[in-house]
Amino acid sequence: MATSALESVAVPGIAAKRRQSVGASRFAPKRLLGLLPLVVVLVAWQIATLAEIYPPVLLPSPERVAMAFVVDYQDILFNAFASVTRVIIGVSIAFCVAVPAGLMIGRYRTLDMLSDWTIQIFRSVPPISLIPMALLFFGIGDKPAIVLIFLAALWPLLINTIFGVRGIERTLITVAKAARASEWLIFRDIILPAAMPAVFTGLRLGIGGGWLTVVTAEMIAVKSGLGYMILNAQLTFRSELIVAGIVIIGAIGLLADQGIRSLRAHVCRWQDGLTAAAE
Amino acid sequence: MTGFIECRNVGKTYESASGAVEALRGINLDCAPGEFVCLLGLSGCGKSTLLQIIAGLETASDGAVVIGGHELDGPSPLTSVVFQDHGLFPWMTVRKNVAFNMKAAGVKPVERAARTDELLEMTRLTAVADRYPHELSGGMRQRVGIARALTTRPKALLMDEPFGALDAQTRGHLQEELLRIWETQRTTVLFVTHGIDEAVFLADRIVVFSPRPGRISAVVEVDLPRPRDPESPGFMALSRSLRHKLVPDLQGAPLG
Ligand SMILES: Nc1ncnc2c1ncn2[C@@H]1O[C@H](COP(=O)(O)OP(=O)(O)O)[C@@H](O)[C@H]1O
Ligand SMILES: [Mg+2]
Repeated sequence: MATSALESVAVPGIAAKRRQSVGASRFAPKRLLGLLPLVVVLVAWQIATLAEIYPPVLLPSPERVAMAFVVDYQDILFNAFASVTRVIIGVSIAFCVAVPAGLMIGRYRTLDMLSDWTIQIFRSVPPISLIPMALLFFGIGDKPAIVLIFLAALWPLLINTIFGVRGIERTLITVAKAARASEWLIFRDIILPAAMPAVFTGLRLGIGGGWLTVVTAEMIAVKSGLGYMILNAQLTFRSELIVAGIVIIGAIGLLADQGIRSLRAHVCRWQDGLTAAAE
Repeated sequence: MTGFIECRNVGKTYESASGAVEALRGINLDCAPGEFVCLLGLSGCGKSTLLQIIAGLETASDGAVVIGGHELDGPSPLTSVVFQDHGLFPWMTVRKNVAFNMKAAGVKPVERAARTDELLEMTRLTAVADRYPHELSGGMRQRVGIARALTTRPKALLMDEPFGALDAQTRGHLQEELLRIWETQRTTVLFVTHGIDEAVFLADRIVVFSPRPGRISAVVEVDLPRPRDPESPGFMALSRSLRHKLVPDLQGAPLG
């Protein structure tokens, strides 16, 4: 009876839109627009080297950099692997600490009062400025780098998680309370999923910060990784390897961000069509 | 006389920064098992406050609430709430939303799944079981809210203006569906509304509230035969007399 009429009112096209956003649109030709600025930079670079605006020792041509990828691929791969591993370890530890802590701080007013000032103070300290301390404490090696990455990722993860919990609609907690849900169920089924989009924002910022930090830390505190490789290349006047290092750092950054984005799109797919998407 | 839900001299005063607000004073109310009671009144006369207290979500400053013979102390397993803005979890599909109250009550997964299917069937939501709430129309969302409330076989449904945000036609459909469900389940229903016609259409008994402080100003038995016809003389006469009972509130009270 009334049902069929009601059913037909069910917001049309959303299911179709969802299918489209998962399939076609993300990899549509339009997406290739993102390559345009990169091509422009590449062309400008090629022109600059052909015109010899800077001596080749300073600014290597794109071909020489491409060659470096072929010649030094073992070196690049080894060091990229070292850097990536450090970031994964540091950010993972930060994630495991920051997300539970953020959920608790966001939920309980007392914990918030307790931690607010401390968080604001410590997050204002650039991790780079802690390199000397880290060296004193841990010496040269993986440890200081991982600790610095941990710190770089911790604060954005923590702050965004807290922010996510704060944004929960109060009615939803009331609904759970009315149903006599346990505090554990409220955390797991309501607070965590509600905070998830913000957690992902924190993760993106955390990985970004961790990646910036690892390269810097490796220039000083470690004897491997892309930062170390670049610094070493400078000492041996191999500018093409420096540029190759920069390119690979950027590429990995892009890849990580895209990975997190698609993970977020999957985990938070309930948000499809709920938030304003750009036309 | 004792009912399934009893309010004994319930009062509520909110303490806020701008001073104390007496939201309710001296509320005595009994709902018999299976009775459909509407709380009718203009905005701000404490209907929601009373429902929240009966739901165990607010504490009374005065008096006591007894449900099924037990004095209330927090949300009772014998009642379920249907919220005005439906209160669905946006990250759960319809199916998961419907199952949530059972999960909270510790019902085993197998039994939960079976009961969820049963309720989806009863509220005609099976076809949209795997959608997210924002993919549904307002009327369907509220049916999910009702389905979720019914899963734990509550003895009473507490509904706070559940159809308030819907268009007239959808509201009409849902009122009929609610009556159909009520007639098969025989739960007590406590239904808050500011719509006179809605109250007359649904209720066995209408409890009229007046504001500042919120109190019961009249209790009206509705003995019109069901199903009720809003065009019938009896219906219209009762609506008119209720309108008069609400009018004194209009004078000197801020509208809306
Ligand atoms: N949490 C609260 N804090 C302070 N005052 C409140 C609160 N909730 C309701 N009130 C006040 O109590 C009175 C009754 O409100 P309410 O129960 O929401 O009325 P109704 O549901 O009939 O519109 C109003 O004056 C309202 O402003
Ligand atoms: Mg209200």
